[in-house]
Amino acid sequence: MVFLSRIADLIDALASRHRLLPWLIAYLMLLPLPFIMSTFFNSYLIDLANRSCLFILLAVGLNIVKGFCGQVTVGHIGLYAIGAVTSAVLSLEPGGFGGALGFGLPVWVSIPIAVLVTAFAGLIVGLPSVRLEGAYLALATLGLGESVRIFIAVTPALGSSTGLMMIPAPSIGSFVFDSFTSYYYLVMTAALVGIYFSFSILRSATGRAFQAIREDTIAASVNGINVIKYKLLAFVLSAIYAGLAGALFAHMPPGYLHHNNFTVIEMVTLLLMVVLGGIGNVWGGVIGAIVVTIAYDQTKDLVVYFMDRPIVIQPLVFGLSMVLLVLFMPRGIGGWFEGVLRNRRFIKRSEEKLGGTARNS
Amino acid sequence: MGFDFNSLLAFIIFGVTIGVVYGIVALGISLIYSGLDIVHFAHGEMYMFGAFFGLVLAHNVGVPYPVALIGAMILTAILGMAVERVFYRRLTRAGGGYTVAGMGMIICGFGMSVALVNAAYFFFGAEAEPFRANLDYIPRLTFPGDINVPESYVLTAIISVLLMTGLHYFLRHTKTGLAVRAVAHNKDIAYLMGINVPLMISLIFGLACGLAAAAGVLIGPMQSVQVEMGYLMLMKAFAAAVVGGFGSLPGAILGGIMVGIFENLGAAYISASHKDIYAFLLLILVLMFRPSGLFGVEAKVKA
Repeated sequence: MVFLSRIADLIDALASRHRLLPWLIAYLMLLPLPFIMSTFFNSYLIDLANRSCLFILLAVGLNIVKGFCGQVTVGHIGLYAIGAVTSAVLSLEPGGFGGALGFGLPVWVSIPIAVLVTAFAGLIVGLPSVRLEGAYLALATLGLGESVRIFIAVTPALGSSTGLMMIPAPSIGSFVFDSFTSYYYLVMTAALVGIYFSFSILRSATGRAFQAIREDTIAASVNGINVIKYKLLAFVLSAIYAGLAGALFAHMPPGYLHHNNFTVIEMVTLLLMVVLGGIGNVWGGVIGAIVVTIAYDQTKDLVVYFMDRPIVIQPLVFGLSMVLLVLFMPRGIGGWFEGVLRNRRFIKRSEEKLGGTARNS
Repeated sequence: MGFDFNSLLAFIIFGVTIGVVYGIVALGISLIYSGLDIVHFAHGEMYMFGAFFGLVLAHNVGVPYPVALIGAMILTAILGMAVERVFYRRLTRAGGGYTVAGMGMIICGFGMSVALVNAAYFFFGAEAEPFRANLDYIPRLTFPGDINVPESYVLTAIISVLLMTGLHYFLRHTKTGLAVRAVAHNKDIAYLMGINVPLMISLIFGLACGLAAAAGVLIGPMQSVQVEMGYLMLMKAFAAAVVGGFGSLPGAILGGIMVGIFENLGAAYISASHKDIYAFLLLILVLMFRPSGLFGVEAKVKA
């Protein structure tokens, strides 16, 4: 607790110099991470860190529509799939393996196009939200997300059952981002920028409009907020995050994409991240993404033998922990975090009022 | 492929039979929605558990098919009531009374669905098992134009009609059914009228899960039984419930039949490999243009 509030004090002091200073320092501190990992542990951890960064992007993006704007969507993994497959197909060489489509565009062109396409798909996913609320919306988005996966699974041009292979890696000049370490810098930068923009959105007028819609749609519309416009905007913004994460995932070192990466289990994992972190809390989402990615990786091969049958227990554990989290910890880690920070702010304000005696008395 | 009226008729007949099964599952979802104000995302798993209970009863215990059907319904009803009592009831209380904050319940149901599927791996394994049922005493139907309808389809139609009539009789003509309808209408007033609301909610859940189990046992002989079967069924039953108007019981059956026909015609005339997408397509179209459903009254927005 005290430690946490020390850090918060430090960040405040830095931010008072310049708004971007804490972010710059965080970036610099994250730079040597792959070298620390490969020296002291093993280089597999870097791959894990890369995947954490992608899931941070996804979770932070999902938080915009779910946490800020209060729209229940469970089809987010479909947007991720659209981003990944679009970028992969655009950058593959024509006439690829197994009848896969290919346009042979450079990676730096295919990623922005994929993000645009996903943003447009997000607009389509968001359209039902204009008329639907709550459970209906969850159904519509679940249907859309799952149809995307099934469509990919049965269309040979998009990889169907074999998946897309040999997806090229991005490069600058002669430097190719084809190793875990080099790719780390790409996704880490993207994740940090994503978190920063998420805070910017939260603090802007747009973010306040989202929150007003979350709290009470009718009251928001009475106050002159264009509800339809802002709901759709929330979907598009979160789709941009999902599209970027998907496109970066497609070009990640193995360069291989399969529709099994976009199943309901992945959706549950993503939801668990947001729920564990606390719905609507950006840092909570980030922590949730890191914790769940590590937990996912560690429990992936955990097999229990029951009546001579090998059973993978990870989805069971994830599903149950989601139920239990909703029941017993509905505000997640982020809620606890926020409570501590609010306490600190309260103490600080009282100190100012009482002339610095509040902490000791 | 030239247009063939007989095959069109055959597709429609098979679509209706499958659609009735979707309708039975949708009936349970609608029942839970109108009774508890929640959308139960783990209902597909109740269907899957029902199919497996029936399979175990018929193969391992060796009881005849109708007994297996009833046994599976009872066992699944108990399972459903237990899940509701242990997990969902806690959440509904947290929301105050029996109405629920939408997002928590959706996430909870989603997690429960995944947990139940993977719990089922422990007991039933990952292999798809054929449901062998001796149905020789059921007559094969032959429609004009040499359309042969297999026994299992005939049986499905008969049992579905029986179940629906039974449910209708229970809800409309018994005192307990009246209490259930009162709870669905307004829980606070039902309380004041001396109805045991928690008991009725358990009953609603048990009924809905029993219906899902019946659907599972009925579809068993047509397709094989496997652990992953609940998810697609859930989506199709949702589509059926939405098409018929959420919360409307006759609408659920009609919606199920429509989804069944739509899906079979799509598979026959457009593309068979995209079969599972048509239900979603119908779901999304109806949700976007007529959220209250094709036969429904004004949609109750509860979230």
